[in-house]
Amino acid sequence: MIKLYDFELSVNCYKQRLLMSILGVEFESVLVDFFPGSEHKGEEFKKVNPLGHIPVIDDGGFVLRDAHAILIYLAAKYDPTGNWYRTSDPELIGETAQWLLFAEGTTNTASAARLHDSLGYPFDIDECRSGAHKLFRVLEEHLWFREQEGLDWICSGDHPTIADIAIFPDVMLSEEGGVSSQPYPAIRRWTDRVKRIPGFVVMPGIFPAATA
Amino acid sequence: MSVTVLSGTKSGWHPIASSSDLVDRHVYQGQLFGYEFAVWRSDDGFVNIWENRCLHRGVRLSVGTNDGAELVCQYHGWRYANRTGGVTYIPAHPADANTHSSCARSYVAVERYGLIWTTLDSETSLADLEVLDVLDDGQAFPLRPIDLWVTSETTISHLERIEIGCPTLADSTKHSDLVLFVQPVDERRCVVRGVLSERPDDEAKIDVLRFYSAELGAVRDGIEKSAGVQAAPEPAAFKVHPAVEVSIGLSSATNRQAAVPVRVRRRWNTATDVVGFELEAVSGQLSTVKPGSHIDLHLPNALVRQYSVVNAPGELDAYTIGVKLDPTSTGGSSTLHGEVVVGDELLVSQPRNGFPLRRDAVHTLLIAGGIGLTPILAMAQALDHQGLPYELHHFVRSQNHIAFADRLEALGTNVTHHLALDPDETVTQLQRLISSYTDAKHLYVCGPAPMLTAARATASANEWPDHAVHFEYFANPTQQDQSSEFEIALARSAVTLPVRPGESILEVLKNAGISMASSCEQGVCGTCGVDLIEGEPDHQDVYLNDTEKRTGKRLMTCVSRAKSSRLVLDL
Amino acid sequence: MMQRCSDPVVLDMWHPVAATVELAAGVEYQTRLLGEPLSYAMSPQGLPQAWRGTQHQLPVMHAYGVLWTSLGSPPDELFEFDEFHEPDRHNVWAGSVGVHTSAPRAVENFLDMGHFPYVHTGYLGIEPHTEVKDYTVEIVNDGKEVLATGCEFFQPMGALNALGGMLMEYTYRVPHPYCSILYKSSPIDESRRDAIVIFGQAVDEENTRAHLVLSLLDDESNDRQIQAFQQLIFSQDKPILENQHPKRLPLDPAVETPIRSDKTSIAYRRWLSGLGLRYGVLPAVSDGR
Repeated sequence: MIKLYDFELSVNCYKQRLLMSILGVEFESVLVDFFPGSEHKGEEFKKVNPLGHIPVIDDGGFVLRDAHAILIYLAAKYDPTGNWYRTSDPELIGETAQWLLFAEGTTNTASAARLHDSLGYPFDIDECRSGAHKLFRVLEEHLWFREQEGLDWICSGDHPTIADIAIFPDVMLSEEGGVSSQPYPAIRRWTDRVKRIPGFVVMPGIFPAATA
Repeated sequence: MSVTVLSGTKSGWHPIASSSDLVDRHVYQGQLFGYEFAVWRSDDGFVNIWENRCLHRGVRLSVGTNDGAELVCQYHGWRYANRTGGVTYIPAHPADANTHSSCARSYVAVERYGLIWTTLDSETSLADLEVLDVLDDGQAFPLRPIDLWVTSETTISHLERIEIGCPTLADSTKHSDLVLFVQPVDERRCVVRGVLSERPDDEAKIDVLRFYSAELGAVRDGIEKSAGVQAAPEPAAFKVHPAVEVSIGLSSATNRQAAVPVRVRRRWNTATDVVGFELEAVSGQLSTVKPGSHIDLHLPNALVRQYSVVNAPGELDAYTIGVKLDPTSTGGSSTLHGEVVVGDELLVSQPRNGFPLRRDAVHTLLIAGGIGLTPILAMAQALDHQGLPYELHHFVRSQNHIAFADRLEALGTNVTHHLALDPDETVTQLQRLISSYTDAKHLYVCGPAPMLTAARATASANEWPDHAVHFEYFANPTQQDQSSEFEIALARSAVTLPVRPGESILEVLKNAGISMASSCEQGVCGTCGVDLIEGEPDHQDVYLNDTEKRTGKRLMTCVSRAKSSRLVLDL
Repeated sequence: MMQRCSDPVVLDMWHPVAATVELAAGVEYQTRLLGEPLSYAMSPQGLPQAWRGTQHQLPVMHAYGVLWTSLGSPPDELFEFDEFHEPDRHNVWAGSVGVHTSAPRAVENFLDMGHFPYVHTGYLGIEPHTEVKDYTVEIVNDGKEVLATGCEFFQPMGALNALGGMLMEYTYRVPHPYCSILYKSSPIDESRRDAIVIFGQAVDEENTRAHLVLSLLDDESNDRQIQAFQQLIFSQDKPILENQHPKRLPLDPAVETPIRSDKTSIAYRRWLSGLGLRYGVLPAVSDGR
């Protein structure tokens, strides 16, 4: 069974739990005392990931780190429909990669602001927040036009992809970092749609949506 | 092409959303002058604009859920009804379905030009919502709203000076006029909502929208740059309306007892001998109705009859009742069947609930006989809507005697009809249904007297505790005892008023035109307290502590009564 | 930026600023309390210190695993929390978490059971078991503490080793305006109780750091899971707290609509009014009398 080095409150670990739940992949959670123990910075954990961060997965001896890389691997390996990471078309590969890099941005701004405000991480909070707002403005416009075209998801096509999974929790928990989602109504509607994907699970701080 | 820039005054009308923002089962978070709204469209299309705070503990309703008929607060699961904002259920107190009259603070909603409009001032009339010559409601085409990190004043002054281009690509809108509505969000932000006077052809639609999104986006960047704004401003403090204006439903003040005029919107034969009536408000909004409630219907011949309201959650555009023709009618059902037609006006009381539904059962067994279906059907619809486990057994003479068959059909396999059973067969069937009791099951029965008796006997034989068995009009809906009768003397105004069983002191005072502050109306918050000069109070509240109760110097007018025949109040 | 605190009641209180286990000896740390920056440290000799500016020494106390200080003249003693010192217990710091709300809002939420099925779904409560039964609230200890006893709630998963659902019984203490202690039966010894504590640091009037401490009876092998469980529960509360408005706790009962199950919170609000406390609350214009 896949081992996930996991911390319940980490958005990047949640992205893996969410995708595996949606794909119906069984996994075992190995709790890492990220906070307050900082176990991921310890010598023992560095044998798993020398960069000292989570999540990491161990799939029968294949060890992979970095949240968005793991999403690619899990979707490519465990989604027989090929919908969650579409390798059939170079444009779609490029598009997914583009939004996964965008998700690195939301993680480094919105989710970093959350770590600052909640757990006292020494980040430049003003920079995190203003960076998050700039990205959210771009995402808002993108999703607003998707809706106008009758489309629900970040990447082209009528099926969600790992890009939706990668950006979703950064957006959902942004208010914990003082980044309000009030000015971004199309983003708020999209988060409702993500919550309605069959197999959706919550993490602390995220509540389920009403059934559509 | 002409460009018009418009923005209302503090008390005027403002757009706060696009119609297309209010998608199914979503709660939109709106803002105007620092006030925040939870905006949601119900499944029946109604747009609700409410202050974005739960009455209970101030949590934003926009983090709650829109279930199509009610908005559910995320904190304690309080349910608020479509259209009225009335609290319909408080899960912490499942037996108290009857005791709340609070309503979310709501604002007027108007849809025009593809936008949702509201005003902060309830006195502002609809006529003040300017009808623009350049815009025709049917043709108006709303653009992507653009949010700005600067004030509306700054934005307006820039917009009045700029040129906005015209898309060359879309012939269909090249003569279109553009109106820019500037919505002041708070002291630091605004939203520009553009509307074109002409709707482009479908194939050009996206291109037109992209053109203006880019054009207005560039304008936004220019304004922010010249204002020296580089980052999103901190959200302004949430403005809360003054306490006196918050809560308190439409009905809780002086007119709780008063009848309101309704008009027969629809009348139809729903089953043999049963006529259905839909009664809509002649003006304004009907009050919230909870499952199991009834209304008093004032008939043209001056008789007053009670009818259970069949409505499902969130269904508050009309009250639906079913009237069975009673062969021994003394003028109630015969008048309704024989004389009352569509368009007639009647008076109805506010809904009252003598048969409240708990929603904390692991299983709810609903049993109805004949027209006793009406309150039971309302309960079934509420349970069904919330996805709570239940079954409804309907004892009825024949297929043709099944009233509201469409509503029953929508409940699917949860409903079983038991047709044409004789009295013995009915008893046998009831014995089968009301079998052994297990924890947290609840039974509700409404029907003819022999059936009620048989159902009660069966429940008791199978060791159902009394608290799990509910019969219409037999259950005491609250823990308060309202049976005493006494009088209150108001020391300062030298008035004496009688308080009859079923009335609270607070209601009597309000009905007498005395202005009384109140909030929870169940003896919890202390708002409606008054000093007591003389008499022995029967407190029944939980606000005062034991010592305060013993000294008897103060009482809560919403629930406290008298043990003595008279109380003298310092009013 | 929030105004400086001018409330004498709050200035003279002890305030928690850090869990002492996270302090490396001799290292200087910074935080904010009542809107003011301050520094603190644990000396190499194990003595706590706190100061404002470069040298203004502040009163300090090391109690219940936490470093306390005050910006005024605090009482000699802190409230009692005897369980902390029982020899067969172990005390666990579950983290210090920043939350965008006032300390009284955070404490009031800690005292509330009605939200369990909606906010802690599947953990501390589950629908349809939503009823809050009557319980007892008193002001005890010479008016220095709010105490709620006999608080029962149906819980699908009370602690990690509690299987299935059961009625849990809680006792809540509010021995300090910004702190609360919750007791519940220990899963290993029915006759004794585990304690879960929130020590609220009022960073300013609308921002709090919640220092979470557990005092437990079962063996230490479960510590990490219990710590993770407590973090999870608090993280579920966080978006609720951060979406509550006004952020300061309104003491006027007419501003919000309480119900019978809010007896503890009503008592807490009245108790704060009675103390004359103004920081982190919206004082009642009158107490209705």
